[in-house]
Amino acid sequence: MTELILAVFGSFIAIIGFAVLIETPWKYVPQAGIAGACGGGVYFFSAQSGLDVVMASFLSALVISLLAHIFARVFKAPVTVFLIAGILPTVPGAGMYRTVYYMIADDRTHAAYYLVQTLEIAGVIALAVFLMDTLFRIRPGRYVRRPGNAGGDRS
Amino acid sequence: MDDKAIINMAVLAGEIMLRSGAETYRVEDTMKHILNTTGTAEAEALVMLTGIIVTVSHPGEEAVTVMRRVHDRGTNLHRIVEVNEISRQYCAGELSAEETREKLKKIRGKQYTTWMYNLATILVPAGFAPLFGGGFAEIISAGAAGAILAVLMTAGKRVRMSAFLLNILCAAGVAAAAAVLKVTEPVVNMDTVIISSIMPLVPGVAITNAIRDTLRGDYISGGARALEAFMTAAAVAIGVGAGIASVNILWQGGVLL
Repeated sequence: MTELILAVFGSFIAIIGFAVLIETPWKYVPQAGIAGACGGGVYFFSAQSGLDVVMASFLSALVISLLAHIFARVFKAPVTVFLIAGILPTVPGAGMYRTVYYMIADDRTHAAYYLVQTLEIAGVIALAVFLMDTLFRIRPGRYVRRPGNAGGDRS
Repeated sequence: MDDKAIINMAVLAGEIMLRSGAETYRVEDTMKHILNTTGTAEAEALVMLTGIIVTVSHPGEEAVTVMRRVHDRGTNLHRIVEVNEISRQYCAGELSAEETREKLKKIRGKQYTTWMYNLATILVPAGFAPLFGGGFAEIISAGAAGAILAVLMTAGKRVRMSAFLLNILCAAGVAAAAAVLKVTEPVVNMDTVIISSIMPLVPGVAITNAIRDTLRGDYISGGARALEAFMTAAAVAIGVGAGIASVNILWQGGVLL
């Protein structure tokens, strides 16, 4: 339990740091941190309770993109502002590292395993972002496409 | 109102957004909103990762086309948000074309001080250490690796090193430091330290944008960004490999792994 709290708090700090690195406006930095902390918490909890890393990444990416879309609507800022920083705990840095580690250790079996896992995680992040993007673009009752707004929204 | 002024302004807005790492569809959308204020139905904006083409034509008149090549790109959410707000105000009629142009030109690049970037570079690895299973020792070590990273990044940017090379150098630096740490302090988990400290380098931004561009049907930009993500990942991987391997072979004679 302490570890979970530490992981959530750590992710919060880390995402705030990363948000500063990519020049997030200061008023949106805490929200990005919260999105990242929730994602980190979900990732850590799922991984701890025995879920596969890929599935844990999927759940965490799902939570982060959901929060990013909600924050974008509440605080009237582009989704990117919260999503890019928030998604960082899910990005397969660990997989990348292990792939290379086993490559230089001459262990091709493990290297291939982690390479595929890295690609899978990148894939499930795509799936999670796609799901939420699609979900938030559904607007019941509005079928008319206005000129200049061909299916896209600016929020 | 003068069409050309509006077109130039739209291109300026688009260029700032594209250089700041906005998704392609967002750039196109913003530019189209601005272009629609010329009062013509025939306004097109084509945005790719490397350039912008805009054309506006009134019935019975010759079309006006403007093209802009965009060379360097980074990530700067502050500028994206600013352009978004300014263009909204303009489209709502709160700003004139001249005022909008002036405002767009005044958007600042950096909003934090250098020591804040350096502090952030230290905080990211330290914060991620518990997530990857690290304890107190790993948090401190990751923070120290982050400090090395901050030094390397600042130095590399000062000599205008290419992004690819800079990523290799930074990853090699932290990996070598972690490997040295593993030799001197065997209790510290090298994996956690390295994974945490390469987090500021991994292509999270490129991956996310590649996904969102591809899903909107911008296959050219999406593909280009996917390649960008792959190149960054490759650079980090090469760097980590070089860092560990050099300590392993040069200092430990190949017994580290």
